[in-house]
Amino acid sequence: MKKTIIAITALFLLQTSFAQKRFITKTGNISFSAGTALEDIDGVNKSVTSLFDMATGEIVFTLLIKGYEFKSSLLQEHFNENYMESDKFPKSTFKGKITNLDKINFLKDGLYPATIKGTLEIHGVTNNVEATGNFKVSGEAVTSTSDFVVLLEDYKITIPSLVKDKIAKTAKIKVNCNYAALK
Amino acid sequence: MKKLKKILGVLVIMVLVATGFGFYLYTKKPADVRTLTSNYQLTATTLVAAFNADEKLANVKYLDQVIDVKGIVTDIKIDSAKQATIFLDGGDPLAAVTCSFYNEEAAAVKTIKPGEEVIIKGKCTGKLMDVVLNKCSIQKKL
Repeated sequence: MKKTIIAITALFLLQTSFAQKRFITKTGNISFSAGTALEDIDGVNKSVTSLFDMATGEIVFTLLIKGYEFKSSLLQEHFNENYMESDKFPKSTFKGKITNLDKINFLKDGLYPATIKGTLEIHGVTNNVEATGNFKVSGEAVTSTSDFVVLLEDYKITIPSLVKDKIAKTAKIKVNCNYAALK
Repeated sequence: MKKLKKILGVLVIMVLVATGFGFYLYTKKPADVRTLTSNYQLTATTLVAAFNADEKLANVKYLDQVIDVKGIVTDIKIDSAKQATIFLDGGDPLAAVTCSFYNEEAAAVKTIKPGEEVIIKGKCTGKLMDVVLNKCSIQKKL
């Protein structure tokens, strides 16, 4: 009996000391669409860096504006030069915290709804945002997904009146990041 | 009357050409980086060092440029959506070169193993933790 208790305790200690606390990805995917019925406008970024700490709930996403890929070269040019001014504002960053951390077990497989609160910087403007999404845990891998909407006006992204029927006033953002434990 | 017809004819042609050109621009796809000539040839270590030394200067020099980067493969990731990424050793434990490939290149990426030395062509989009290249393709296995 004593031996069993010692063995279980040892196993437990071993497990906690091996448990990874931080997760990282450099190949996250964040796409957006800001088109209307008149035109499809979507871009995808496949090299998003994101990091989170499962103990504190702190989470960061950061990406390079020039990393967005488009179907049309004209769109890409306008996106970088007129709307996002990517030479002046090359990066976009979200920093925040998972607010319902107590309901997520990163060590147990499952799909966990999450709420995240923090600050989002786009086009040199920082705003407080709150978004909902999911963490999917399967073994060592964790995937974060989220859909949320950004109002272009909030980030001082102005649309010339000539094309205002083609570009939506909001952008739908889609997040899909596959993390691995940070060694 | 004849003159008027001529002028009208010219006008119609001009409008057609303008519309055609507009349509061409409107539907033009972004340049395929695989078919472009590289502006720079350098090693992953040199590229990372340049960004570490002075990010602003490196941005001016390398941003949006097509680059051939030579380096040792440290890691390879191919996800379910056939999105392939290769990491090259940047000579800095905190910064590598992240190369994000065209989806059609996933098969070629599969043949690469960590530890191999390769030359990868891609477009530089800047530096986060790593220097990032997108629209990549493998040029050569060494």
